Amino acid sequence: MQFNWGKRKPHCHIRGPFCHREAETRDRAIDELLEFIWNLRENGVSDVADLQREASDPEARNILSYMEQEGLFAREGDKVYLREKGEEKAREIIRRHRLTERLLMEIFELSEEEAEKEACKLEHILSPEVTDSVCTFLGHPPVCPHGKPIPPGKCCTAPEKSVKPLVMPLNDLDPGAEGRIVFISTNFPARLDKLSALGVAPGSIIKVRQKKPSPIIQVGETTVAVDPEIIHDIYVKAV
Amino acid sequence: MRKRGKNRGMESKDINRKSTKKIILVGNPNVGKSVVFNYLTGKYVVVSNYPGTTVEVSHGTTKWRGKNITVLDTPGVNSLLPTSEDEIVTRNILLNEKDALIVQVADAKNLRRSLLISSQLSEMGLPFLLVLNMEDEARERGIKINYQELYSLTDARVISTVATQKKNLEKITEELGDLREATLNISYPPALEEAISQIAEFLPEENISPRSIAIMLLSGDKSLKRWLHARLPESRINEIEAIRRSCQAGFDQPISYLINQVRLEKVDEIVRLVTMIKPIKRKRLSTRIGELSVHPFWGVVILIGVVYLLYQVIGVFGAGVAVDFMEKTVFGEYINPFFMRWTGRLVPMAWLRDLLVGQYGLLTMAMTYAFALILPIITFFFIAFGLMEDSGYLPRLAVMSNKIFRLIGLNGKAILPMILGLGCATMATLTTRILESKRDRIIVTLLLALGVPCSAQMAVIFGMLSGFSPMMVVLWAGVVGLVLAVVGYLAARYLPGESSDFVLELPPIRLPRIGNILIKTLSRIEWYLKEAVPLFALSTFILFIMDKTGILINIEKGASPLIKGVLGLPVETTQAFLIGFLRRDYGAAGLLALARAHTLSAEQILVALVTMTLFVPCLANFLVIVKERGWKIGAAISGFILTVAFTVGGLLNLILKITGFKI
Ligand SMILES: [Zn+2]
Ligand SMILES: [Zn+2]
Ligand SMILES: [Zn+2]
Repeated sequence: MQFNWGKRKPHCHIRGPFCHREAETRDRAIDELLEFIWNLRENGVSDVADLQREASDPEARNILSYMEQEGLFAREGDKVYLREKGEEKAREIIRRHRLTERLLMEIFELSEEEAEKEACKLEHILSPEVTDSVCTFLGHPPVCPHGKPIPPGKCCTAPEKSVKPLVMPLNDLDPGAEGRIVFISTNFPARLDKLSALGVAPGSIIKVRQKKPSPIIQVGETTVAVDPEIIHDIYVKAV
Repeated sequence: MRKRGKNRGMESKDINRKSTKKIILVGNPNVGKSVVFNYLTGKYVVVSNYPGTTVEVSHGTTKWRGKNITVLDTPGVNSLLPTSEDEIVTRNILLNEKDALIVQVADAKNLRRSLLISSQLSEMGLPFLLVLNMEDEARERGIKINYQELYSLTDARVISTVATQKKNLEKITEELGDLREATLNISYPPALEEAISQIAEFLPEENISPRSIAIMLLSGDKSLKRWLHARLPESRINEIEAIRRSCQAGFDQPISYLINQVRLEKVDEIVRLVTMIKPIKRKRLSTRIGELSVHPFWGVVILIGVVYLLYQVIGVFGAGVAVDFMEKTVFGEYINPFFMRWTGRLVPMAWLRDLLVGQYGLLTMAMTYAFALILPIITFFFIAFGLMEDSGYLPRLAVMSNKIFRLIGLNGKAILPMILGLGCATMATLTTRILESKRDRIIVTLLLALGVPCSAQMAVIFGMLSGFSPMMVVLWAGVVGLVLAVVGYLAARYLPGESSDFVLELPPIRLPRIGNILIKTLSRIEWYLKEAVPLFALSTFILFIMDKTGILINIEKGASPLIKGVLGLPVETTQAFLIGFLRRDYGAAGLLALARAHTLSAEQILVALVTMTLFVPCLANFLVIVKERGWKIGAAISGFILTVAFTVGGLLNLILKITGFKI
């Protein structure tokens, strides 16, 4: 199947909606179109014209009409809107896409471009369980790295006590509670050197003594005052 | 001088070969290194800057095997892969001092970080003695170390001490005769090991092992650049860089960070095997005080209390009682009359008499000034500063002020030079090195020169303001504070470069040791006498020349339109401003004299004081800025400050005139 996906740089919200690679299945194509409609809506536009421009070749048109028949979206005048079924599906795709972005960019420290590429693959294949684990692992982040909202899943609305995130920024640890450092995400190598020379490195048991007026962390008998950004960059697992 | 280039045998060093042997103390900050140093060296200590840097290194001598040998106290380090100027200096000392006896002073309750340094010494192939100090504090916290096990695991000579009680310190010199290399060697992942051995092959045999230097180079240590260029051809250096790059390409994380992690893992393994911790539930009082001092509410209360105490000790007692006594009694009644009498008798030439004891006399003006006015204030300041330093309060002050400094794009560490600036801006400018980024150093240097009044100047200012309503103090402090905030904010915004991270270790709160503080104060006073007094003499001499040649009068005439027109002040104040360049507080004192003679209105005094506080840095400070930051920045800072001072003074004058505000 051949689609004209256009030459737009793929991105979760800025410009085009589509993943750069060619979709191989109809399901995948449907996903992409739903994602597109969702993104359009977020940007405040939902013209049929836009949709038609994106799916300009016959094959894509076929899919669009199939989707309409299936009750995924509807047209009203020159506007498109998602119907209940489509809304649900789009929501999940967007959620998977943006959670993956976060995982890849922040934890695996992939570049934006690489992360986007991978997110586009993974958004179609992640199972709901894995998605929720990723969400929990990341501490139920409300937005993607670009600041766009991540639709919450079941895991996010569950009572907080029952599902403690596996890994969370040190900032989310209660003062006095201990956590084991899983990784430190930062773009400043000098900061990593300084912290690890003080014994603040993956594997160490750490606690936040206070967060205000300035965060103070403690590793063993070492007490260090740091900038607030730093405790956002240290990810821990509660122990 | 010692011979260079001699290869060190791999086995053991011939300890008795040279008489120029040195003992070098290394260790983390706040582990009691200086107490051990003071114990070894006794009273006489020389603090000097390490060549080419502003980092202080203390030297002293001790008796060892019947001979006097030098003891060197290096700056505290957290890693010998340097991330700060202090760490570069310590690493360089280890790199350059051949056949030294190395003593690693370490915190027994923080074995983990201690062994992190030990592992690096071991990697360097340097024999050392591990002194696990503060054994009492470790015990209080329920930490027990199995020294036998530690020795058998690492081969490092270990002794445990309580330096503050002189417990076991005599063992240090006893053990020094029998140092050996520890076997705390760490193996890194194969890809790293391969690169390390590739690089090590290019390196010459040195005082420290090629392997350790290779690890530093692989970690991207730029501070070895000069060392490298002196030893290897350009092509080799490029080859090393190529190896480093291709090795780094195989890892997501910086190599230095990986290496540190591997070291930590190994160290953690040892720590697990040799320590037993019985957690002690009871909170010690010092911990409680430490917590309160950084508490969002109580921290502020304590801060205010500390500031009030500082004011009482330095402002009221130092600048008031002590200065009065020195100036009026010691110098006024004895020293100056004595000099005048004897110069009158012994010196026939009138000009020379004038130079020595005249209005701008070296003895009457410069010495009185240096010893009677500044010395008492600065002495009390150094004592207070030493107390804050040794009690562990100073870094907590940085925690309390981090938020405020972040507003103007700096971080809490900036408070440390600023506080010191209240004692002497010149000295404070030297301590801006605790800030990591060049940009932050420049900003703080600028703020110090612009508007942080030194204790002497402050004393004179308070003297002038004391006759008026508190409104005057509020207005003066408000205007100066506002200017500092605005300039700081703009400088942080528009100066290129990165701001430095706020990562500051908080040592435990401790009761300061008076002996230690006195030694520190004495060495700082010695610094002041050596650095600042010649500058006073020079300033006075320049004034003397300018007075005799008539330049002074001419400058006064030239500047008077500015003074009169812009600031709305009488012409006589010109001289005060002129002198103000030589010593800012000299200038303030000139204003004080005019104020006493009732030639100035309250509003004029306010304008004059604000302008004088913001006025160009004093000569000494200016010279230090030039020394630290170079001519360009020195001149730029001075020009900028001069403009700001007169603009603000002029605006203030204008506003007061237009609104007809009366104080
Ligand atoms: Zn996609
Ligand atoms: Zn995104
Ligand atoms: Zn969730």
